[in-house]
Amino acid sequence: MKTIIAMLVTLTIIGVVSGGGLAMISGWAAPLIAANKKAATERAIFLVQPEAKQYEAVAEVPYELYRVLDEGGQPTGYSFPWEGNGFQGNIRMMIGLTPDLATITAIEVLEQVETPGLGTMILEDPFRGQFNGLKTEPQVDWVKGAPPTKENEVQTITGATISSKAIVDIVNDGLARLRTDLAQGGDK
Amino acid sequence: MSKKQVSLFNDYTKGVWDQNPVFKQVLGMCPALAVTVSAMNGIAMALATTFVLVFSSFIISLIRKLIPSQVRIASYIVVIATFVTIVDLVMRAQFPELSKELGPYIPLIVVNCLILGRQEAFSSKNNPFRSVLDALGMGTGFLIALASLGAIRELFGSRSILGVQLLPDAFEPWLIMILPAGAFLTLGLMMGGLNAMILRRKRREEADILSKHIPKTYVAASEGQEV
Amino acid sequence: MSSVTVTEAPTGQELLLSTSPHLHSRWTTKQLMWFVVLALVPCVISSVVYFGFYQLVIITTAVVFAAGTEALIQYLTKKPVTISDGSAVITGLLLGLIVPPYFSPAFTALGAVFAIAVGKMVFGGLGYNIFNPALVGRAFLQAAFPVAITTWTIPQFAVDAVSKATPLAAFKFDNVVTPLTPLVVGNVGGSLGETSAIAVLIGGIFLLVTGVANWRIPAAMIVGMLLFGGVLWLLDPAAPDPVFHIFAGSFLFAAMFMASDYVSSPVTGTGMWIYGLGISLVTVLIRVYGGLPEGVMYSILFMNAFVPLINRYTQPKLFGEGKA
Repeated sequence: MKTIIAMLVTLTIIGVVSGGGLAMISGWAAPLIAANKKAATERAIFLVQPEAKQYEAVAEVPYELYRVLDEGGQPTGYSFPWEGNGFQGNIRMMIGLTPDLATITAIEVLEQVETPGLGTMILEDPFRGQFNGLKTEPQVDWVKGAPPTKENEVQTITGATISSKAIVDIVNDGLARLRTDLAQGGDK
Repeated sequence: MSKKQVSLFNDYTKGVWDQNPVFKQVLGMCPALAVTVSAMNGIAMALATTFVLVFSSFIISLIRKLIPSQVRIASYIVVIATFVTIVDLVMRAQFPELSKELGPYIPLIVVNCLILGRQEAFSSKNNPFRSVLDALGMGTGFLIALASLGAIRELFGSRSILGVQLLPDAFEPWLIMILPAGAFLTLGLMMGGLNAMILRRKRREEADILSKHIPKTYVAASEGQEV
Repeated sequence: MSSVTVTEAPTGQELLLSTSPHLHSRWTTKQLMWFVVLALVPCVISSVVYFGFYQLVIITTAVVFAAGTEALIQYLTKKPVTISDGSAVITGLLLGLIVPPYFSPAFTALGAVFAIAVGKMVFGGLGYNIFNPALVGRAFLQAAFPVAITTWTIPQFAVDAVSKATPLAAFKFDNVVTPLTPLVVGNVGGSLGETSAIAVLIGGIFLLVTGVANWRIPAAMIVGMLLFGGVLWLLDPAAPDPVFHIFAGSFLFAAMFMASDYVSSPVTGTGMWIYGLGISLVTVLIRVYGGLPEGVMYSILFMNAFVPLINRYTQPKLFGEGKA
């Protein structure tokens, strides 16, 4: 009986002290972590919308969507994060679009676990740059082994076809969702 | 140095080399293999682990006589988990980039056998001062191992060490080195190399002892027979 | 070559592994090894015919670095230098024949060094290696330089360049089926030595007739391919037919020269069948369901790992022995 009480008391004290200490540290760290996260999102929003000066969140859709504005407060497009399956795991990216959703301004991959040096070429400009000014009607298409001939085509990376296609698929998926939601009059 | 000083000194140095956690005890393999794609990652991981190890050892050694032995493992884990959470929070607040790189491996320090092992094997039996020395030694050994693993993998896998490009552009990076397979290969070859070195030194020492005790003529006669 | 002759074991230690009789072998280890080299000559010729004389540079590099690495390591560790037994030459030759045309000689050299140093010498040299050294080298190159090793050059007289890909990649990524005739003569994209079934078969049959290679492993692989490939094809006609499976990629080359490597394959007859069938099964699964177009290399390495287990469970019982 005595040992049981000793066990209970020891563990309780250790737990309370640990919990209390962590609560204090968390109180200090939580705002900083939130600020880091916000800064990262903001940076990504403007990375895919280089012309934009400010942004506002669009509340009408059940996911993150940001309308970007110029200095005068006029809407110049959308930025929104979207994710999907890559070759080995989730790919999360930020997509920038013009207000009519017909052209991509740029894309930026935020999180990925593709094969280093191969699948990760989706992060680099020969591939990523193809999305700057890419047309999205009727959807984004990919071609393999040859330079694209149409305005809505990108060329896949040799040896990383699956990762390249994954990016195109995520863009198309996000676009489709955005088109339906915005057409329903939530935001125009 | 007095005898006591020697033993205190040994508390620290044994973890650096003789009982190196990675190369000798083969502990903490998960972070050693998973995060060492670059020297920086290896160093950051080792420092985070050392922080947790030193503070856990200190606290546990302080309260070692108060903990009933039935719940000692549970107590150790709570203490360790507390410090791991502190490291995780601080890194996410102050070093978001590094925290993203190391990802889930920071929270996983909780289950690093090295840390729990030191509590059970050392801190629970020794005073706080010696426990901290032991923890620092183990941490240094862990740092040496992870930094060298990370440096080798970064050099061949990304041409650089600590982000400084050392190999020319003409050198095609060996992607395998920054893949999991490269971690196993590098660690295996390093361990093999170290063991071969130690074995050779031991043989030489044995030969030295032999040559002192056995008459010279006998040694001369036996030379050249065996390698 | 442990399973063939004990007296010539290179380290002078006894290497007897098998209980089956080996005394019937007509040749010594050295002769066996040089027969294999001879059997690979048609493949070397076909690689030059289809991809040009430059390929000799690649093959020579692989051979020189493989043999050189072995000699250097044996010299440094003060073991007898045994490159004249030809086994390192074979490893180099095989590695040279399973890289793409115009593959960088520097990468080839690295692959050869890795194949011998890590694939063979780390385990203790000839007779002790678990995995086929040439395939270890190839797997290293695959992981280290994934782009270079999948950059194919079409043969000199390819009539219609369907794509620059190999028949298996063309099938996997673009659903293009390569007809049988170019596959058999070898007028398709692929690694140096593997494209021409005719050249592979000339060398392979030579090995089988002289008794250098055991017929069971190639036979088991082909039977397995017909069986497993056939079942998948019957279940899903969109999958490639078993004959395509056999002639495309490096399957035949691997069956004749890679899987039948003495050291890394089982020693018992039953074991050889299990081993060959296993390779075919894994190959088919990788080719049809996997992310890679070709799976022969990984399936042989995979089955290599099971060889000690296979040997153990297929060991013939000694007369008078009770329950094992």
